[in-house]
Amino acid sequence: MHIMEGFLPIEHAVGWAVASVPFVAYGIGSIKKQIEANLEQRMLLGVAAAFTFVLSALKLPSVTGSCSHPTGTGLGALLFGPAAMAPIGLVVLLFQALLLAHGGLTTLGANLFSMAIVGPFAAVALFRLTRRLRLSFAVSVFIAASLADFLTYVTTSAQLAWAFPDPTGGVVASFAKFAGIFAITQIPLAISEGLLTVVIFNALARFNPQELKDMNVVNPPEVSA
Amino acid sequence: MLIEQCAYANRWRRVSPAAKALFALSGLVASFAASTPMAAVAVVCLLAAVTWIGAGVPVGRYLRVAAPAFFFLATSCLSLAFSLNLNSDGQALSFQLTPAGLQKVDEVSGRSLGALAALLFLVLTTPLIDLIALLRRLKTPEVLLEIMILCYRMLFVFSDAVHDTLTAQSARLGYATSRLALRSLGGLAANLTVQVWQRAHDLHVAAQARNNDGPLRFLEPTFAHTGRDVALAAAGGSVLIALAVVLS
Repeated sequence: MHIMEGFLPIEHAVGWAVASVPFVAYGIGSIKKQIEANLEQRMLLGVAAAFTFVLSALKLPSVTGSCSHPTGTGLGALLFGPAAMAPIGLVVLLFQALLLAHGGLTTLGANLFSMAIVGPFAAVALFRLTRRLRLSFAVSVFIAASLADFLTYVTTSAQLAWAFPDPTGGVVASFAKFAGIFAITQIPLAISEGLLTVVIFNALARFNPQELKDMNVVNPPEVSA
Repeated sequence: MLIEQCAYANRWRRVSPAAKALFALSGLVASFAASTPMAAVAVVCLLAAVTWIGAGVPVGRYLRVAAPAFFFLATSCLSLAFSLNLNSDGQALSFQLTPAGLQKVDEVSGRSLGALAALLFLVLTTPLIDLIALLRRLKTPEVLLEIMILCYRMLFVFSDAVHDTLTAQSARLGYATSRLALRSLGGLAANLTVQVWQRAHDLHVAAQARNNDGPLRFLEPTFAHTGRDVALAAAGGSVLIALAVVLS
């Protein structure tokens, strides 16, 4: 869910952009190091960005019957790592604004923070935590992907609530309103996205175990196919 | 993609991208400067009219591109207009329509529509490849530019692969029920995921075969009359900002 162009007041728009800058800079730095070590990486990231863009345009059958689009933040973070997702996310969000008029230039910083920073870092942290708790691979992927999606939406609601506090109830009431309205579409979407990510990883484990091992997503003994 | 079609087929395709970006930037500034609904409406109308009449973008197509943003605006304004009272005694929750909320809706929707009109002006008149060239001149980090160029070129390759796979899966009733749809979609995405590495490897081999290990540069189109276009855009943009300030 993208905040539309011009929706946030100027201070918030600038503030979120400034907050996102260190993550993007760190991501670019880590990408540069990866490219120096392995030149093939430079092609990989561009292709990964295109993949994320196309994935986000797919229609996902949602539990309530309405169609939604997956965010792909959980999948991308598990495959490419959370640091690389900030620059990839920047390009994808910029392209969504420029090619689909989805999101915007002034709200790029806020959208980037919720989708390409909070979502991916949450996904990887949750995945590591659930793996450490010895939950199965499928359950870990489901929790990581669906909660990453869910936290992205919570962050967006918090951004909107902070920018537009309720005249009587303040930020808390405003958060309840935004989160309540978007919950109708976002909670089923988070569940569908979690399920989809599990199906994707199952298909990968079945047909392409070598690629999964190369990406360090799973430990070698776990891929049995 | 509707926006791509307009960006390549509009009347101002050959106008300097720097000029169009400057005008769009003025539009953004004007929509943030406009503090009354009257001023915001004037900015929106002027920007839309320039896009429709000046660049010759069809009105129907323009509205179809803007439709998803309208949906977001409508749902968000709904929650701005109603105030939630958490501390009322009788009921746990109560909603009320407040004048302050309605005023906020006016202000926010005016600003959003103005900024949206400015964004649409830019994207409907300027192909992405021109914008990337402009970003290169504005000293954007090379790594980001490379991701953008590759992303833009691979986008259509992947879209094509998605389209073909969807057709093949649908022909085998892959989307007959929602359960099957999820399974088919998972297969499709997994297949695409593997293609990411295969295609990246192919591109790498192709680049190595041409001794390319540095930036990916392409011939950029040249625009005659850049100076004149930028001057005109600056004048138009100033009028827009002045209008917003005067009417506020």
